[in-house]
Amino acid sequence: MTSQLQILFWILVFPGFVFTAVLGLLASWLVRKVSALVQYRIGPPFFQPFRDIRKLLSKEVLIPQEANKWVFIAAPLVGMAGVLLLSTLLGVTAFWPKATFVGDIIVAIYLMVLPSLALILGSSASASPHAAVGTAREMKLVLGYELPLVLAVIVVIIKSGGALGLAAISENTPVASISGAIAFLVCLLCIHAKIGYVPFDMAEAETELGSGVLMEYSGGLLALWNLTSAMMLVALPMFLVMVFLGGIGTTAGSISIGLLKYVLVVVLIILIKNTNPRVRIDQAMRFFWIWCGLALIAAIVLATAGNIYGIGWL
Amino acid sequence: MSLSAKAVKKSPWVFHVNTGACNNCDIEIVDLLTPRFDVERFGIKLVGSPRHADALLVTGVVTAQAAPRLKEVYNQTAKPCVVFVIGACACGTGIFHTGYHVVGPVDKIIKEVDPNAIIAYVPGCPPKPEAIISGVVKALSIL
Amino acid sequence: MDRVQLIESLAKIKNELIKVEKTTDSRLYLVCESLNAYKVSNFIFKTLGCRFVTATAIDSFHYYEVLYHFSHDQTGTVLTVKALIRDRGNPSIESIAQFIPGAQWIEREMHDLMGIEFRNHPDMRRLILADDWPQGVYPLRKKTKDEKVS
Repeated sequence: MTSQLQILFWILVFPGFVFTAVLGLLASWLVRKVSALVQYRIGPPFFQPFRDIRKLLSKEVLIPQEANKWVFIAAPLVGMAGVLLLSTLLGVTAFWPKATFVGDIIVAIYLMVLPSLALILGSSASASPHAAVGTAREMKLVLGYELPLVLAVIVVIIKSGGALGLAAISENTPVASISGAIAFLVCLLCIHAKIGYVPFDMAEAETELGSGVLMEYSGGLLALWNLTSAMMLVALPMFLVMVFLGGIGTTAGSISIGLLKYVLVVVLIILIKNTNPRVRIDQAMRFFWIWCGLALIAAIVLATAGNIYGIGWL
Repeated sequence: MSLSAKAVKKSPWVFHVNTGACNNCDIEIVDLLTPRFDVERFGIKLVGSPRHADALLVTGVVTAQAAPRLKEVYNQTAKPCVVFVIGACACGTGIFHTGYHVVGPVDKIIKEVDPNAIIAYVPGCPPKPEAIISGVVKALSIL
Repeated sequence: MDRVQLIESLAKIKNELIKVEKTTDSRLYLVCESLNAYKVSNFIFKTLGCRFVTATAIDSFHYYEVLYHFSHDQTGTVLTVKALIRDRGNPSIESIAQFIPGAQWIEREMHDLMGIEFRNHPDMRRLILADDWPQGVYPLRKKTKDEKVS
């Protein structure tokens, strides 16, 4: 295959759109099913998320009269593009390591901001007071967790001796050390906030804001948002697996172990989701900046000390 | 029914509208959406915005204050949608039919906006959650 | 003060009251004319220190009644000022919202539904009837037939 065809295949089919969308919708079914079992009920059948997307695609799209039409329509497309590229990048790094480039972890961090940014833009273009409150909360939340996220990745970069490529980083398992474990836990919570699950779902606070940021979206655009959310359930845990848990190899054995690692991260997300109430935005910001920030500074110190003195488990 | 109405059948997202009810029917609807009755098996989910909804659960005899608001909410619901009229008051104004503030049962107000609206009735005072589930499932199965 | 002292202290406004009814141990009705209701309510609220609970308007056949309910929390007694408005053509009473801001909304509701005018009310607007309800039609008066106006 020529290079362009191969890139198109990567983006559109595997590990791009088709693969990520299907796996993402299955993961979102898993989240709903496990939450249902925890609440002592049965929950939706296997293909319910697919039915939801199909139904949304067949509804009419209503755009508020005073909304900024082009930003309103473009925002979900930008969000989906960000997640799509992120999952393509991670998948290509895992299965075609020679096709990657140094510094792609920085690209991954930038791509991870895109869905949140798109959400902020889309909801502020909605011309609705509910969406405006949701926008303010989402902006503060993003301000809150981006710093710990980058600090956690810095811990990993220090532990892997300064390597900036995902392929090189995913050969180690930083989580087997103290600083790596701290960074893994903080990064898990940041990912949790980015997907927008309880306890950090105050932007789309259903009982307070009547759907908050996504209040005015309907039909196909809402389907795009839901699909983006489902795809984030693939891309972001995959990011955690590759950066902290040792990645996914290319042999059949390591692929199945990699899949188990992915399921472990998703199960952790489900556990956190089902055992916590929603927190206020000021509590969330305080948590991310003060508690997570201090923990990560300690982790950076430990990681640097471990590097200098050659102690692996620090 | 058209293809799009068939898609609503398998994944109806509901939005609850109270147009002046005594709250009995609203309590039963809120009970319905708790884990005990588990309506998520049918794909039913409570959404916070009428724009996300496929089914409106309307309770209450429509008062003069609530009538323009109910019409606005119906307009904001993305079509195709189904209107479920819950409770004796909503189905036909019940014991309040001589009230000074009552402008008519829900279907009269909805038909002023959209004469071809799909309306399903679940009578009762209040209907038990099992009755509401049965009504919703029956109505969706003949869509 | 206990209940006995409470009833004794009502002697100070004896001149403004028509009678004092004691239906049960904890309920006192102070019946007065509508012109004296302001002074009586002022006395009960400020001097006796009772808490304003709510108000009621009744269309009795010969007069309108406006009842202001006050609670004496130390003894659990509820004192009700029963003001009789004898002018049925143009019912009017002095508003107690001037010194009890919490009474503003209930007086607006009584005005909406019964048509009783509250003189010197700080903010008399429509409260619970619909925005396009015609002026001058008071639904809870006994004479109003149950016809739909809108």
